[in-house]
Amino acid sequence: MIAANNQPSWRRFLLRYETLLLAVLVIEWLIFYHYGTSTNRRGHLVGFGTLDRQFDILRHSCEIGLLALALTPVILTAGIDLSVGSLLGLCAIVFGKLWHDGGLSIPLAAALTLVVGAMGGGLNAGLITALRLPPLIVTLGTYSLFRGLAEAITQGAVTYTDFPSGFLFLGQERWNGLPMQAWLFLLMAVLVWILVHRTTWGRSFRVIGFSPEGARYAGLPVERRVSIVYILAGIIAALAALIYTARLGQAKADAGTGYELFAITAVVLGGTSIFGGRGSVTGTLLGVAAIAVLKNGLACLPVVIRLNAAEEISGLLTGALLLVALTGNAVPTFLNYLRARRQAR
Amino acid sequence: MLSGPPPPPPLLTLRRAAKNFGGVRALRGVDFDLQAGEVHALLGENGAGKSTLIKIITGAHQPDAGEIIVAGRSLTGLTPSLAQQLGIACIYQQPALFPDLTVAENIGLRLEPAGSMRRINWSQRRQRALELLARVGANLSPEAEVRTLSMPEQQLVEIACAVGAGARIVVMDEPTASLTSREQDRLFTVVRELRSSGVGIIYISHRLDEIFTLADRVTVLRDGESVGTQPVSAITHAGLIKLMVGREVDQLYPPTEFTGGEIVLELRNVGCAAAGVYNVSLAVRAGEVFGLAGLVGAGRSELARVLFGLTPADRGEILLCGKPITPRSPAEAVALGLAYVPEDRRRHGVVLELPIDQNITMAIHARLFPTAWLKLGTERKLALDFIRDLAVKCAGPQAPGGSLSGGNQQKVSLARWLATQPKILILDEPTQGVDVGAKSEIHRIIRQLAKAGLAVIMISSDLPEILGMSDRIGVMRGGKLTTILPGQSDAHAVMAAALGQELAKGAA
Repeated sequence: MIAANNQPSWRRFLLRYETLLLAVLVIEWLIFYHYGTSTNRRGHLVGFGTLDRQFDILRHSCEIGLLALALTPVILTAGIDLSVGSLLGLCAIVFGKLWHDGGLSIPLAAALTLVVGAMGGGLNAGLITALRLPPLIVTLGTYSLFRGLAEAITQGAVTYTDFPSGFLFLGQERWNGLPMQAWLFLLMAVLVWILVHRTTWGRSFRVIGFSPEGARYAGLPVERRVSIVYILAGIIAALAALIYTARLGQAKADAGTGYELFAITAVVLGGTSIFGGRGSVTGTLLGVAAIAVLKNGLACLPVVIRLNAAEEISGLLTGALLLVALTGNAVPTFLNYLRARRQAR
Repeated sequence: MLSGPPPPPPLLTLRRAAKNFGGVRALRGVDFDLQAGEVHALLGENGAGKSTLIKIITGAHQPDAGEIIVAGRSLTGLTPSLAQQLGIACIYQQPALFPDLTVAENIGLRLEPAGSMRRINWSQRRQRALELLARVGANLSPEAEVRTLSMPEQQLVEIACAVGAGARIVVMDEPTASLTSREQDRLFTVVRELRSSGVGIIYISHRLDEIFTLADRVTVLRDGESVGTQPVSAITHAGLIKLMVGREVDQLYPPTEFTGGEIVLELRNVGCAAAGVYNVSLAVRAGEVFGLAGLVGAGRSELARVLFGLTPADRGEILLCGKPITPRSPAEAVALGLAYVPEDRRRHGVVLELPIDQNITMAIHARLFPTAWLKLGTERKLALDFIRDLAVKCAGPQAPGGSLSGGNQQKVSLARWLATQPKILILDEPTQGVDVGAKSEIHRIIRQLAKAGLAVIMISSDLPEILGMSDRIGVMRGGKLTTILPGQSDAHAVMAAALGQELAKGAA
């Protein structure tokens, strides 16, 4: 690390993990552009290279992207939140019920949904900080709890639909050239980036991730900071629920099933250490993009279309990409270990 | 001339054994020998080198120089497993047994040959456990889970393992530290039986009385050197203390200029049952360095943690500048103006992965960045100031804390707390594991801070440091502040108070 400080800044930039990930992303995109785009009989472009397809990718990645943004501070504190996908489902149902059965206006129902998200995150935070339970177990519990509540409210059958077009605009229309939810996602990305990289709070997330005892001895309010990351994750999950509902035009109990795993994958692929302390929001954004492009790009490849196995292959490649990234991250540590062992002899 | 049979060769001999850790010389050439059938006590202040010596004997550390001779064989590469084969066993203060397994299983794991597909003969294992337990006089069921046993019972299981392994050399590291006097008597009986069966026992203890009851010979270590081996019958309590303390303060400490100041911190009967601190009363004045002496485990760091809100006090009063305070967390303590430079700097003092500047500003986020927005320029400038003022040797403010040497890490830890501009600074072993150069720099810094009007509490196990730096010396023992001595006290008085000994008149 010290050696890196003496190198010229352009070299440090090239050696950064985020730069490598960006290169992977660009190569990935070019491959899909080359093999996944074709012209139909009328001479129109179809497949990966079309603008519509690119907007589609953006639209589909916003919800998982938001969850990945929510998880970045959590994982920086060496925590984990498995419940964000389930909380997304619960918040979608709460929103639908408040509007449809409760007769509340859309803005009021949306505001209350964000409050419910904060409360869900608060439940995680309380169990983790007050009872000192491990985050993995707590959020594994609320993972089932939130989904169960969503299904109980709807009895597993009801979906809420017929939302007004003013609300659907949020998920289906463009504004200033980009899908509406992409603007919201960008706004959240900037806010989380500022929180993590430019405030004392983000600084303390890292300290807690590296050394919770060290943070305590430095007089940092460890419990309050840890609570904040889980509550924030809850609020962002609720926002993702609103966007999800607007995109599909319906609120259902199984919304966001399995999203937490994609989000965690994106965060870790983005270079954030699952052991806490290290990581960046930029990395998370690149991780989200890499996964989204992979998923959608594969669906455009003729060979994949012929096999009709886009889901399976994208799962396979996402896993492989993650393992390669983790190995790449571990190589310097491993080399240091070897060097230390040689010196010890 | 008496012409008896020649004395049998010793079980164990160390010749000029030396060991360095980084720049710190833990052992500088120790001679030591252990005869069959003797209890040989090892005595010394904290940090005198006892633990290092034991680790060399048990093969955990390799000496940098010198010779180890076990049963006539000179060994160069002693490893833990080789030590075991040679019949060397060590019983630590905290028994190292598996709490969820039974006594018989623990004994079996130590003594039976290893092998992944080995069938276990349960009745044989039980029988052997019964025999060994009987030999050490332990009335325990082999089926008892170790977690249900008391500390002395667990020690007996450890001794049974040593006996079962046919140990010829048994090292006991402060075995009575947590025993009641009845349990202690039982342990002594077992030790005496081991001795009469020809085992050599290296016995480490801070309790002088025990050494006089149990040991045949005693070796005193000081600053990594052996300062004498004598038969116990030929030495007195006072003589032993004198050996341990030895030379006068020979290091040059910056002179004190304290003449008296306002009381900054006052404790009235402060206690915390959970931390093992009882009824501590003291007052520290601005400009004063109040030394806290005592043995490891006497409750000094525990008292510091009570003051810093890590384990809040449950009785008594703490007054800061005359106002009662009740710090319930470090965050509250920091806000009140307390600062604590902890003993374990790698775990608590410095976050090794983070750069120096972030480490220095960690406790002053609220003051330096009132809007929570980081001002990296301000942070860098502050860090550079401290790096210059405290002469931290580093590649720059961005260098990670883990890249620094022990002394420089300690300076960074100190800088973090000086940055809080505290009213009272508590230093816990400020120069432990620090090389000589950095040590005297840290002493100079402490003196400057006191001169500038800071009230300093300095916990130290380094007796010369306590004597050289303190304006007054509080001595703790068993969680209580037993004595407060003036700064010009002699080493014997401090050591005697720490050991709980009344010095006979004129003994010094």
